[in-house]
Amino acid sequence: MDPSQLGDKSREIRIEILKAVHAAGKGHIGGAFSIVEILVSLYHGGILKFDAKNPKWKDRDRFILSKGHTGIALYAVLADLGYFPKEELNMLNQGGLLGEHPDPRIPGIEVISGSLGHGLSIGTGMALADKMDKTSRKTYVLMGDGECYEGSVWEAAMFAAHHKLHNLCGIVDRNKLITHGSTESINRLEPFRDKWEAFGWEVIEINAHDFNDLEKAWGTFSAKDEGKPSMIIANSVKGKGVSFMENKAIWHHGGIDDAKFKLAFAELEAK
Amino acid sequence: MSKVDMRDAFFERLVEVARKDERVIVLSADHGAFALEKFQEEMPDRYINMGIAEQNMVGVAAGLAASGKIVFIYGITPFVSLRVLEHLTIDVAAMQLPVNVISVGAGFTYSTDGPTHQGLQDVAAISTIPGMTILNSSDPINTRAFVDLAIKTEKPHYIRIEKEKLLPLKRLESVQTVIGKGFSVLAEPKKGVLLISTGYLIHQFVEIGEALCKDYDFNLGIIDIHQLKPIYEIEIMRAIANYSIIMIFEEAYSSLIGSEISKIITKNNLSIKTIIVDTGDSFNFMGGSRDQMYESSEISMLKNMELVIEVFKENS
Repeated sequence: MDPSQLGDKSREIRIEILKAVHAAGKGHIGGAFSIVEILVSLYHGGILKFDAKNPKWKDRDRFILSKGHTGIALYAVLADLGYFPKEELNMLNQGGLLGEHPDPRIPGIEVISGSLGHGLSIGTGMALADKMDKTSRKTYVLMGDGECYEGSVWEAAMFAAHHKLHNLCGIVDRNKLITHGSTESINRLEPFRDKWEAFGWEVIEINAHDFNDLEKAWGTFSAKDEGKPSMIIANSVKGKGVSFMENKAIWHHGGIDDAKFKLAFAELEAK
Repeated sequence: MSKVDMRDAFFERLVEVARKDERVIVLSADHGAFALEKFQEEMPDRYINMGIAEQNMVGVAAGLAASGKIVFIYGITPFVSLRVLEHLTIDVAAMQLPVNVISVGAGFTYSTDGPTHQGLQDVAAISTIPGMTILNSSDPINTRAFVDLAIKTEKPHYIRIEKEKLLPLKRLESVQTVIGKGFSVLAEPKKGVLLISTGYLIHQFVEIGEALCKDYDFNLGIIDIHQLKPIYEIEIMRAIANYSIIMIFEEAYSSLIGSEISKIITKNNLSIKTIIVDTGDSFNFMGGSRDQMYESSEISMLKNMELVIEVFKENS
């Protein structure tokens, strides 16, 4: 897909997310909207190696959604690719296949997530196994910026750099908001890039909603065959795509009433 | 037969297995053992010192296991249990990955190091993790067998390895039978008083049993439970049903065996009096030998022997 097609796909995915969260009554819509282009670029942009008909295909790349609370964004992408029927999306959190947080019972989900600060270590283990086995598989781990408060993230950061896991790509959804406000006013993360560089990572800073930026970042990561792990700091907008949700911490988690649903739906359809 | 360090018993077997099975990986939280050096020397690509970062160690182990490896992670008891309780629950048990915790420091093993290093809480805490098998070594025989069990089942295990040098226990059944049912019968008059314990402490009860047999002509049943979870109810029922009193001793703040056996007794309406001895609901800040730690707590050989004599006489 070219960037304009990826843009269209992102709009479709946002509509699916919106519908699912509305049907569920509540959900983590803000952080789901901020990662849509990252997921679409990876899955629809020909970056990740996968087989939706054979989710356990042994040569697949690994993708871990470490910020598991935004599982609905990944579910919408996986359903679109045919991992499971799209009808499941509107059954979110209502006793069907899909719960708020991903787990490997769901086709296409590699690991359970929901407790923050786990995914980078697990991804590091996968990348280490691939390095030991001399495979060409790659591992991608998408974290939230608020997740980077967890100490275990930095334990993994140190280890992956020490072991030169060039086949490991971290992505941080840098939307600068946690549940109750801005990361910089609550517990400062900046200088964020410097932190990752000091830990020995190749840092690539991009606009999380720009497909050209994303493609270049994957290219820089993939071109590496030795040396450092890569960290893509993806500067994003929480709630991206719906004007009244954008950059509002209140849309981290919650319900969406019928009136707001209609407004948001109309705005996404019109784009 | 001479006494063997349990770490040697475990890692020597692990080296033997790993030579043939390339899936086996060892991660250590900067913790060593003589026999582990052999693994490191022979298979340097499959041994990694993770540094002092246990949470990452568990996550990395899960990632390796999800990619086809069988992983053994090694460290001191509180740091590979309590410190990583959530990581073991989510990363390992919830996904039923073949990650095996090798935990050294059961009970008062690190007797001079105070509550930070005591292993009195790990079993109770780990027992709350669904799908996590808990094994507690009591001699070189079951310790070696734990390696094979972990490899064969490819499931998560929490394995406590003693640092002490121990003699093999004299069992009434084969190792295969014992491993299959999770405990060893060491003496079975099948009536009267039954002593149940686990790990290093069981050797104390073998001594007590032998001494009381010699001095008082007491005939005590003795059982070593090495698999603390799951406990197989039917097998345990068979082993305890004919006794009138069971005395359970565990080197823990709160005895898991005590609560599990009590559940079985209650559920099945058995008429068996149960006495549970553990170290109780208090910290022990003293530093001394393991025996001194015992003497300063309820897990004291002297107190236990007196208690057994008292109970036996009351029951006769």
